[in-house]
Amino acid sequence: MAISTTAGHAPHEHGKPTGLWRWLAATNHKDIGSMYLWFSFTMFLSGGVMALCIRAELFQPGLQFFQPELFNQLTTLHGLVMVFGAIMPAFTGLANWLLPLMIGAPDMAFARMNNWSFWLLPPAALLLLISFFVPGGAAAAGWTLYAPLATQMGMGMDLTIFAIHILGVSSIMGSINIIVTILNLRAPGMTMMKMPMFAWASLITAYLIIAVMPVLAGVVTMVLTDRHFGTHFFNAAGGGDPVMYQHIFWFFGHPEVYIMALPAFGIVSHIIPTFSRKPLFGYTSMVYATSSIAVLSFMVWAHHMFTTGMPATAQLFFMYATMLIAVPTGVKVFNWIGTMWQGAMSFETPMLFAVGFVCLFTVGGLSGVTLSVAAVDIQLQDTYYVVAHFHYVLVAGALFSLFAAIYYWFPKMTGKMYSEPLGKFHFWWSMIWFNVTFFPMHFLGLAGMPRRIPDYALQFTDFNRIASIGAFCFGLGQLIFLYNMLRSIRHGQAAPHKPWEGAETLEWQIPTPAPYHSFVEAPHVEAGDNGVIHSMTGGAHH
Amino acid sequence: MAESSRADNRVLLLKLGVIACVMFAFAWALIPLYRVICEVTGINQLVKADAPAPAVAASDLAVTAAPVRLRFDATVQAGLPWQVRPLVGQMAAPRGEFVRVDYEITNASNREVTGQAVPRYLPAAAGNYVKKLECFCFRQQVFKPGETRRFPVVFVIDRAMPADIGEITLAYSVFDVPGQGAS
Ligand SMILES: [Cu+2]
Repeated sequence: MAISTTAGHAPHEHGKPTGLWRWLAATNHKDIGSMYLWFSFTMFLSGGVMALCIRAELFQPGLQFFQPELFNQLTTLHGLVMVFGAIMPAFTGLANWLLPLMIGAPDMAFARMNNWSFWLLPPAALLLLISFFVPGGAAAAGWTLYAPLATQMGMGMDLTIFAIHILGVSSIMGSINIIVTILNLRAPGMTMMKMPMFAWASLITAYLIIAVMPVLAGVVTMVLTDRHFGTHFFNAAGGGDPVMYQHIFWFFGHPEVYIMALPAFGIVSHIIPTFSRKPLFGYTSMVYATSSIAVLSFMVWAHHMFTTGMPATAQLFFMYATMLIAVPTGVKVFNWIGTMWQGAMSFETPMLFAVGFVCLFTVGGLSGVTLSVAAVDIQLQDTYYVVAHFHYVLVAGALFSLFAAIYYWFPKMTGKMYSEPLGKFHFWWSMIWFNVTFFPMHFLGLAGMPRRIPDYALQFTDFNRIASIGAFCFGLGQLIFLYNMLRSIRHGQAAPHKPWEGAETLEWQIPTPAPYHSFVEAPHVEAGDNGVIHSMTGGAHH
Repeated sequence: MAESSRADNRVLLLKLGVIACVMFAFAWALIPLYRVICEVTGINQLVKADAPAPAVAASDLAVTAAPVRLRFDATVQAGLPWQVRPLVGQMAAPRGEFVRVDYEITNASNREVTGQAVPRYLPAAAGNYVKKLECFCFRQQVFKPGETRRFPVVFVIDRAMPADIGEITLAYSVFDVPGQGAS
């Protein structure tokens, strides 16, 4: 088992570095993981502020706070920041923190590259955020950056394109690290088909990232050359085709949906067995379902383009292929329910978020199946129904699973317990206001309210008011989480070695908090499905 | 620990890096790929698939006798040196007869440039029924610095054109041919 460091000696030979240098030159997977998580939480807050600006403007019809140009910039940057700044780095951060612990590796495979992939993120985020202040403002073409809008805007678009390049390089390097770690650094006895679901999900996600982030980088590069170097990839008058942009973008864009969803599936597949005190139901089918979702995700991209004038044959193909994804996804949902069935369940905060995830993700999945029907989609395309749909899968899906993960592994990461009453309050508060915010958007969309508009017809006022109130309460509630974390890191009760009775994976076999250099010697494990450890020998820490 | 497994890691890193590069190239390859797929399968021939040209029915004859309204237009990409304008903006023309319209093209730059015009029809379905006999778009045209030239466009509107097309816009875009002409 090998890890590379540039320092010429293995990391366990030196102690814990201190000061700023510890973070700038970090090669320890736990330090890098923590930085990823804090970074993504910061981006979550900035993207959240943009969301609240949007909801403030939509509180009533007419233009109150923002001109349409700025409003469009806010919706665009809200999407980009949340997708590339908050959710993706948060999952990479969790993978960094947890994978080596879960599979018995001393660290990530390429420690120095790990440092680079993190430190590329802050400059990219800065590029995105300062683009608000350049002439012409930030990119305002929507997070999808559709041509020909994207080929016409000011320099904010160039900054966005560079930011996407940097984020792409970062996530590709992170993914390579994850794949090599999982494939090459597993402890003896931790075979692929025993590996915990989060490791499986991270592995498949990493492959998806390597396959599609370069495609996104390619298509935004074409936009860049269209803008500055006289090419006409997407310019109809120059012999190009703006619809071509959509085809290439969504070849990236749909797998991207699963890049944000599969790790969430992995997390929930740890938490539900733990708090049901039962092994995961149908582990093998979970692995195959995850893999087949990944494969299918490459064949459905044009379901985002039903209104572009596709021939009926193509519409039917993409409609049925999309519906097909509901099958492996359904397998997963039923497996989670099967895990809970007759389990000795208890509802600590991680479990609450995990169960909330299963309920609300299913709602988002169902509205997704509705949207996959080409005939229906033509009515619902670009309405608030779509906004409701993807916030159910991304907020109640990805974000809730992230909260669940942080609460679940917080004791192992910090050695402290978070405040359970505050955690439960955070869950119920988020659960209620999330639905108040996003459920009315279904109705708005069905009634025909288009997305990405700063002003709307009077009949949409009531539901927009409800959504705006919900959004502000939901946003405020996230400060409870921040307070809980900060307070618990300092003053929380010392966490026991294994705070959750039913937690059986490898990371719970090591001391709490996780030693700075864990598994410097690989342990020998005897593992069951989903990484459940039956026995472990060896495995030294420093 | 062992050097061999460190080498294994490096080999895997390389392979994954190659996949990433190949996918980047694939994004660019999609442009010709889509074009080829659409041509081979005919999947994108919406107009043809949905509305095959019907034979002229007897009942349509009265209508088809009505003249077709023609509009002429020209556009130039921002940054290109051309000025293009039709000498007549619009006219009415009967089907089955020669129509002639003149276009004036100026090279507004002080260098020699080669241009290629690309015609476009609105509605697109009309394109099949406009039979051009003479057009500057048939070949590339070389212009001296500041030169202005007039070109006749001669065409016939096919009598088989469906009666519901009562108006046709003929629009040209003029481009620079890269690598041609002194710069
Ligand atoms: Cu999709």
